Amino acid sequence: MDIVDQIGALRCGKLSRRAFNRSLLALGIAPVMMPVLPRRATAAPEDHATWFTWGGFDIPDYFEEYIAKHGEPPNFATYGSAEEALNKLRSGFVADLVLPCLSDVPRWSSTGLFQPIDTSRLSNWADQISELGNVDYNMVDGKQWMVPWEWGQTSVAYRTDLFELQGEESWDMLWDERYAGRLGSLGGGADVWWCAAIKAGVPFDQIHTDAAFEKISAVLRAQRPLIRMYTDDTTSLDTALAAGEIVATLAWNSTVVNLTAAEVPVKFAQPKEGALTWVCGLMLHAEAPKIDRAYDVIDSLISESATVALMRGSGYGGPNRKAFDQFTDEELASYGLSRNPMDVLQAGHFGIPQTAEWDQRMTATWEQIKLGF
Amino acid sequence: MTVSSLPRAPAVTRPGVLTRFLHRHEGWRGYLLLAPALILMAVAIIFPLGMTLTMSTWSLAGYDINQTPGLGNYAAMAENPMFRVLILRTLTVALTCTLITVILVYPMAYFVAFHTWRHKALWLIILTLPFWTSYLLRVFAWKVVLGHEGVLNTGLMSLGIVEQPVAALLYSQTAVIIVLAHSWAAFAILPIYVSLEKINRTYLEAAADLGDGPVRRFWRITFPLSLPGVVAAFIMMFVPTMGEYITPLMVGGPDNMMIGNLVQSMFGPMNNWPAGAALAVVMMLTIALAGLVFMVLNKLVQR
Repeated sequence: MDIVDQIGALRCGKLSRRAFNRSLLALGIAPVMMPVLPRRATAAPEDHATWFTWGGFDIPDYFEEYIAKHGEPPNFATYGSAEEALNKLRSGFVADLVLPCLSDVPRWSSTGLFQPIDTSRLSNWADQISELGNVDYNMVDGKQWMVPWEWGQTSVAYRTDLFELQGEESWDMLWDERYAGRLGSLGGGADVWWCAAIKAGVPFDQIHTDAAFEKISAVLRAQRPLIRMYTDDTTSLDTALAAGEIVATLAWNSTVVNLTAAEVPVKFAQPKEGALTWVCGLMLHAEAPKIDRAYDVIDSLISESATVALMRGSGYGGPNRKAFDQFTDEELASYGLSRNPMDVLQAGHFGIPQTAEWDQRMTATWEQIKLGF
Repeated sequence: MTVSSLPRAPAVTRPGVLTRFLHRHEGWRGYLLLAPALILMAVAIIFPLGMTLTMSTWSLAGYDINQTPGLGNYAAMAENPMFRVLILRTLTVALTCTLITVILVYPMAYFVAFHTWRHKALWLIILTLPFWTSYLLRVFAWKVVLGHEGVLNTGLMSLGIVEQPVAALLYSQTAVIIVLAHSWAAFAILPIYVSLEKINRTYLEAAADLGDGPVRRFWRITFPLSLPGVVAAFIMMFVPTMGEYITPLMVGGPDNMMIGNLVQSMFGPMNNWPAGAALAVVMMLTIALAGLVFMVLNKLVQR
């Protein structure tokens, strides 16, 4: 049977129905009978551990060691705020690892959803900056609830060409009425509430009191009319700041690093009242389905190469001491980091663990303020 | 001669019990045919609805849910002015954009129904073209059009009409209404088109014969006969826009959040599912009430 002939017949309208059906049949059978193309024998996704993480960290850069060992990066699932992640986990989603912050640890571990991490199983543990996670609520029988991975500041990022600074850098910049409608903010209470506490002059050890709630709410309500956008999505903030749509915003280190790379004149303020500082890290699910691979993920994340990738790519401090040798002091300063993390963390205000009830009340109040009430 | 010696009649297979039953009861035949759909409805709609109702009577205790029924969530909603303001704002936005859309698409539907003779299907496809892309993509596209450095602003600036980008284009109620109107337009076009299409053309000829001009003819015949389609378009657009959450989130500023956003934040960051469920119930009632008004209007119109 000549295929060219058939096409010719079809063109003149002479192809019989039977001949047509026969060629259709042949076409159908052919792909089924074709030998399966050679395929590289790699692990299927279900073999890998899943890392439930902030959107943006779901990239292979941090997994040099893991890929060398297992061929592929692990699986990712992402979220826009840590509380969203906890809610999803509490309603039954299972991921091996998740990335909360240090002050969340008591609240998160009390849910029974996590198990302490045996640091003796981590080959890179000896190179870690151990001070990062060294608080009593993180320790349990020589193990740790959370292995620190990233640390940094929440502060004001502003356009040096568009924002006219009056005096020193300060939190007042985000309450500056000259720039009403041209200020931005993160959307999550876990950052905003604490920063507003610094602005309102509420010491963190008093943040649970009713008086603190009133003061902080008042400060945030006063700020709201000046804000153009609240968002959990840092890309929106970055593009708006780059376009000059907003001139200053509450931000993390990454905004400044991204925009500096794009040659936008932007600076990460060191407010005179002190910035909000934080350490975030990895927690292991109590029923982690791929626990051995999960340890490999942690080990890979805290390796020297992953730390360099993290610091260079997003400006957050990393956990591996050796990585710091690859940065100059100026570089670190421009990221808002230091060779000794404690210098930065203690210069700012570090979050204090709170109860679930406090968190609920704070979030409910903050969400209402955001909606304008 | 006994009966038993007679040659047997060929065996008639007696129909089974079920067949006989169904043969006698027409109603049950109907239910059996409906069963697949009814089961799906029960599983996918009625059961979750029941869960929402039940959950709305629970309350929150720390991270746990207290399952003793009570009306605390509803009482809290009645006390807090936030809910009233948000529901009113949502109603306003939904009604405005529904009204605008229906007025805008009526001439389009009219044109296709009365002034195209060939390729009607093609015309309809073109009219529903916005629906061919993902909803999220459409909203993003509007962000690009209305944004600070967007198509509209750069256009206006290069024409010298404005010096500074117009900030009010994006993150405003106008933006929310524009995006919603565009996104849901196809839902409004189709019912109006159908009701226009089925108008008996002889009425129009009769009106012309009896001396009505085009304008009078439209208002006395075409428009009243197309009203059922208009009402249907109203409902089809109003209901989904009432529950909108993505559009205000993406193009509405802090001042333009709708009730859907609050429901989302109650199920999301606030993690207060019972209150979120109660709010969802109130929202459903509001929509049902509005739907009822439309229905009554429809009945009045059809009389």
